[in-house]
Amino acid sequence: MDIAAEDKKLARLTNPGPDDQLREILRGSNFEDYKAPLFIAWQLNSACNLRCLHCCEESGHSMPDEMTKEEALDFCGQIAESNIPYVAISGGEPMLCPYFFEVCEFIRNNSISLKIETNGEFIDEQAADRLAELKLRSVQISLDGATPETHERLRAGGNWAKAVSACKCLIKGGVNTEIVFVPTKFNYHEIGDIIDMAYSMGAYGVYTGKTMRIGRAAKNWDTICSSLEEYDKFFNILKEKADAYEGKMKVYYYPSDIIEELKYRLDQPAASLLILPNGKVKLISALPFICGDLKKQSLREVWQNYRLAWRNPKVVDFAEKVIADPQLLAQSNNWIEI
Amino acid sequence: MNFTKHTKIRKERFGAVVFDTLTEKIFVTDEIGGEILRLIEKGKDLTHIISVLCDNYDGDRQTIEKDVIEFTNQLKSNSIVRA
Repeated sequence: MDIAAEDKKLARLTNPGPDDQLREILRGSNFEDYKAPLFIAWQLNSACNLRCLHCCEESGHSMPDEMTKEEALDFCGQIAESNIPYVAISGGEPMLCPYFFEVCEFIRNNSISLKIETNGEFIDEQAADRLAELKLRSVQISLDGATPETHERLRAGGNWAKAVSACKCLIKGGVNTEIVFVPTKFNYHEIGDIIDMAYSMGAYGVYTGKTMRIGRAAKNWDTICSSLEEYDKFFNILKEKADAYEGKMKVYYYPSDIIEELKYRLDQPAASLLILPNGKVKLISALPFICGDLKKQSLREVWQNYRLAWRNPKVVDFAEKVIADPQLLAQSNNWIEI
Repeated sequence: MNFTKHTKIRKERFGAVVFDTLTEKIFVTDEIGGEILRLIEKGKDLTHIISVLCDNYDGDRQTIEKDVIEFTNQLKSNSIVRA
């Protein structure tokens, strides 16, 4: 009855281990051992008030066929019935979804851990109080610069002051608040200042990692992608700050890029589902494959499809091509149903 | 013993999965570990847990007691439970 966990990638949502010996000893090391997903990453809507250069989802306008409120709440019911422990809601900008709070309340009323990923521009004191009542796992606010100029250059249409104010309102309201920073050649040098700022505001932590080359980020790749030298400087500052704040504030960083992640997932898929605003379910951000449709299928059926899809030769073959040629990541939002 | 605030437990065919959703760490254990987690969830203390396991599984009390203490120490060191 030992309890075992993956050692190297503990900070990622995954099943225990890349360790072959562990897999032999213990069931539960493989996503196929699970009766239901352990984690749901749910893009609630596609509408967004910003046009970030590095947006993975190419968010902006609503999709014409997004899930209705009734469909979304029905899905919440299935999450609860399946005893899924953890959900993350993002968008688009999820707080633009008219039934955002109803979905959050449904999830929390069923004691499921919930994380919200938002640009923070719709969080004033009143909204922060309402979020505080939900007793969330956390709210993650995107802050891509320590100055308005840097943040707003990357997050087109964004307002740095509003994002900072959102952090302050949430922290004042007692909400576990994390700051998410995406490094690009415009802003990587400000990571140290962001971490200092997060600490001075009382944030729970700062979360960062390499930019994912998908969606609008892939289209703007040559403009935004940091050079290897810039990434070295970025990770050096991160390490220094992580050491400095150890025991005071969490500084999470994931050194692998999306290709390294895909390589790992091809061998060890996560027990998680990525839900798009229209109810379609993607295998993983990096690949274009859709393995289900929650408007037509139950969560249980989609989970079965997901488990089979990872072993589909078409998926494996395309994933290997992407690994060999990362430019193919640009096709990740050209969905292919399998 | 209580589970920490953001820890979730789910019974599985192989035993149980423990998800610390705050750190996003996942742990798995076998059927006996799952039984211990279920008893902790019910608010049972160590003495009660050891008695239940002695009743339901083969093995001498001393060995079971040692195993249960080791297991709960692992839970504590991974911040899954607090005393």
